Amino acid sequence: MIFIALLTKCNCIPFINTKKALVTIHLVTSSFIFCQECNLKIKGYIIDSNSNSVLKGAVIQIVGKEVNTISNDDGSFLLENLCVSDNELKISHINCDQLIKKIDFSESLNVIIIMNHKVEALDEVIISQRKIISSSTAKIFSLSEIEKDRYSNSGLSGAISQISGVTTLSTGGNISQPVIHGMFGSRVGIIYDGILLENQQWGQDHAPNVDVNAFENIRLIKGSGALRYSGSSPGGVIILESSLPKKIDSLYGKTLINGASNGLGGSLTSSWIKSYENGKYLKAQGTFKTSGDLNTPQYVLSNTGHNEKNLSLSFGSNTDSNNWKLYFSYFNTEIGILKSSHIGNVGDLLIAIENKNPAVIDPFSYDINYPKQSNTHYTTSIDFSKYYDLNNKLSFKYSWQKNNRKEFDIRIGSVKNTAALNLNLDTHNLNTNYEWKNSFARFNSGLFFQIQNNYSTPGTGVKRLIPDYLKTKFGSYITGKIDDNYINFGFGVRYEYNSNDVHKYYRNTRWDAKNYEEILGPYVVDEILSQKLIKKVFVFNTLSINTGVLYKLSENKDLNIQYNYIERAPDIAEMFSDGLHHALASFEYGDPFLKKEKTHKVIINFDKKNGVFKYNLSPFITFGKNYIVIEPSGFEQTIRGAFPVWEFSPYNVFFKGLDLDFSYNFNDYIKFKHNSSYVNGINVDNNEALVGIPPLILNNQLSFYFSNLKKVLISLFSKNVFHQKLFPNNNTVTSIFENGLRVDKIVDVSTPPKGYNDLGVNFSFGPYKMSSFKMNVSLVFDNVLNNNYRNYLNRLRFYSDELGRNVLLQIKINH
Amino acid sequence: MLKNIYFKATLLSIVLLFISCEKSDTPAVENEMEVFTNATIVVTNLADNSSNTYVFEVEGHDHGHDHSVQPQNQGDDDHADHTEIELAANSEYEFAITFQNNSDASNPIDMTAEVIEEADDHHVFYEFAASSSLSYESTTGDTLDSNGNPLNLVTKWTTTTGAVIDVAAYLFHIPTSKVGTTRTDFGGAVDVEIDFEAHIE
Repeated sequence: MIFIALLTKCNCIPFINTKKALVTIHLVTSSFIFCQECNLKIKGYIIDSNSNSVLKGAVIQIVGKEVNTISNDDGSFLLENLCVSDNELKISHINCDQLIKKIDFSESLNVIIIMNHKVEALDEVIISQRKIISSSTAKIFSLSEIEKDRYSNSGLSGAISQISGVTTLSTGGNISQPVIHGMFGSRVGIIYDGILLENQQWGQDHAPNVDVNAFENIRLIKGSGALRYSGSSPGGVIILESSLPKKIDSLYGKTLINGASNGLGGSLTSSWIKSYENGKYLKAQGTFKTSGDLNTPQYVLSNTGHNEKNLSLSFGSNTDSNNWKLYFSYFNTEIGILKSSHIGNVGDLLIAIENKNPAVIDPFSYDINYPKQSNTHYTTSIDFSKYYDLNNKLSFKYSWQKNNRKEFDIRIGSVKNTAALNLNLDTHNLNTNYEWKNSFARFNSGLFFQIQNNYSTPGTGVKRLIPDYLKTKFGSYITGKIDDNYINFGFGVRYEYNSNDVHKYYRNTRWDAKNYEEILGPYVVDEILSQKLIKKVFVFNTLSINTGVLYKLSENKDLNIQYNYIERAPDIAEMFSDGLHHALASFEYGDPFLKKEKTHKVIINFDKKNGVFKYNLSPFITFGKNYIVIEPSGFEQTIRGAFPVWEFSPYNVFFKGLDLDFSYNFNDYIKFKHNSSYVNGINVDNNEALVGIPPLILNNQLSFYFSNLKKVLISLFSKNVFHQKLFPNNNTVTSIFENGLRVDKIVDVSTPPKGYNDLGVNFSFGPYKMSSFKMNVSLVFDNVLNNNYRNYLNRLRFYSDELGRNVLLQIKINH
Repeated sequence: MLKNIYFKATLLSIVLLFISCEKSDTPAVENEMEVFTNATIVVTNLADNSSNTYVFEVEGHDHGHDHSVQPQNQGDDDHADHTEIELAANSEYEFAITFQNNSDASNPIDMTAEVIEEADDHHVFYEFAASSSLSYESTTGDTLDSNGNPLNLVTKWTTTTGAVIDVAAYLFHIPTSKVGTTRTDFGGAVDVEIDFEAHIE
């Protein structure tokens, strides 16, 4: 009806292309744009290419008209009521040369205009048409280049945790994964260049196998705001994107050199883009990282070295009628695990907790011995998109991810040098997407198909932690967003068929104890060495929905309400895990009868985007049904003593929380920024707190910019992490000899450590022009007071303190 | 053109969607290589060379305890708790401890040989309440590591007066020290921990 009304109002005959006759919806949406005369819009952002930060106060004018606007504090601008002939923009800024640029303008556009400061090389201003608006009204948080580069030496999780509501779950100093609103692992989707990362994210000690330096943009949607890519991420999605290359004949890029005092390590990352005027480009990017043993203020963390080698290559073309891209990437990391965290039984864990300091403190070394992890991730992808006209785009994407994960333990005998875990995960994805849009609406719909094969290399001498399986997934989605001056409406629906053909060995003792014979008995295909092999297909059908409304309360204030309903098929790990966790001296078991997890989430954002005082206040609630939680369920006797058993179980859970961001600009030189995150998660069934929920965290940053003093930026950071007082009692008891007598001792694995305050300072200098390139230098001090503290969300917190002071010297060259 | 491509794409996707994917290759069973399933102590009375063999065997099984905490050594089915080794007062015994991996009954692995091969990384320690009734030391037939430290695989036990003494026997992997009087002195990871009562009569 809306379409018809508009057509009528337009008072002209819809242009009907007979070739589109079968695609009725596309026809309707695409046809009426030809009726528009002077109701087009250009929305966009002005970006300062030096800092990659937004540029406020730029004047954007239509040449020959008195239509103009000034970019807001967040760099955004909007020009409305434009005609097709209004295709020349004049952009001027006090620090930049005035620029006149013709744009290809026959529809409403979203543009990013990149300007260089006068003091720098006066490169051409580039206008790239980029999809900065998603097909959803969910609020998108993004990191500036400065924020991203600060973590180029450490990784994605650290970088993304600068955003409110995001923390990290770590395993020592080198392994961490993002936690969004208290959820992590499979509940957080990581999308890199349009591919959902499949890197065995089920494990708590698995860090994302992706190089943050390979991507120019890092964005975050809290909640499930990207149903095109993932329907099972109630926590949130992290989107890593490469920026589009320039459409000029040029060779350019960026190199970052980092040196870190803690671990005496560093990294070199460099990216080079050869671009052509015809839209073709070649991009190569690589990273080398190395670090020796890290240290706390008091001692060396033995065997915590780290090496990483990454490479990515892409070759593609962007023209007005089509885009294509071939992409290859290689990621390899070898990570030492704190030697003292390898223990034998619960008694050892008790000793570690009581000792406070690690049992083994060797001199500093770059050697990585056992225990260690070695992960490799290859990605190959082919993209093709075709524009049928300015508003209709069809895309195909095929990707192949090959992930190998090896975990080496301290072992004995013939398997001393054999990985205890050696898993290969191959994931093939084929996606098609059709996008159609007009000046006020944008829709995407598509089909997807995935085959995933998990193969455990035999001969490890350890029972498979994850069984071999073949997953087949396919489905469809539609997402849409309708823009109006005062209200935007977004929605998305995704359906997935998920079939898992699993080969799983069960020990007879467990088979009998759990009475699996009754249900799984018919699926037994072999029996060997007191184990039963079953072969069974587990099928799940899931439907995920999101809807959102964005009200524009005033010129710069928005109210955004999102509702997500997410159905998530249980992970293979949640259903079939079967193994010993060395660092926690516990057995972990899956439950093959888990049902799909259903989550309802409501997020509200009160957003003030511009002005001296900006804020975003975002409360949220989540209700989970069949929400899968791992928790202690008993004991298992071994010749090493009794081990606690942890099992995955479904519960009703409830989360509530609040994220707050605000910033205040005292003047052009002094700025204060704050973000805080609070989340509370409870198991409704037993009224206990959920384990591993981050405590209240406050981040404050005070920045001073001395523009007249050789461009110096000094920022003071303070991170207050409070004491988490809500936690379940998962303690266990063990019997030890004390003063010659056997006594029972509580092994306190539950009580969170005390709160702490971490201070940091950042000195940034530049950019300075040096012949044909620009250079920035920064010096970052983390934990500047060298304080001792422990972190509740570090799985090795029983063994050691967190890292001591680190001084990071970073040299950035834009070439 | 659009119709054509969109149609083909849809068709291709549908064909792909309904290819039935089946996992055909059966995974080989994983033979657990470094698991200790049994520990055996052969106790020989040095006076008359008579000997008794005590096998400590624990198969993994679920106790079915609920969520509450449960002391490790109070379960009804902790086999190891109830082993009693009978010793005469004022006597000397040889304790020879060995370790086995019987997870594949057709192919038992002698783990003692692996312990001896990696002598520097292993150590056996018997912990019990300090008592004048009972003491032990390394003896003939024991293995020494490269630093001359005995592994305590073969030990001589001396008893005096009658008593009932709880003993824990540990096999440590990569201990931080091979000298000590309590478990905490040794560091490292416990590969085997068994309990028995020495009945000295």
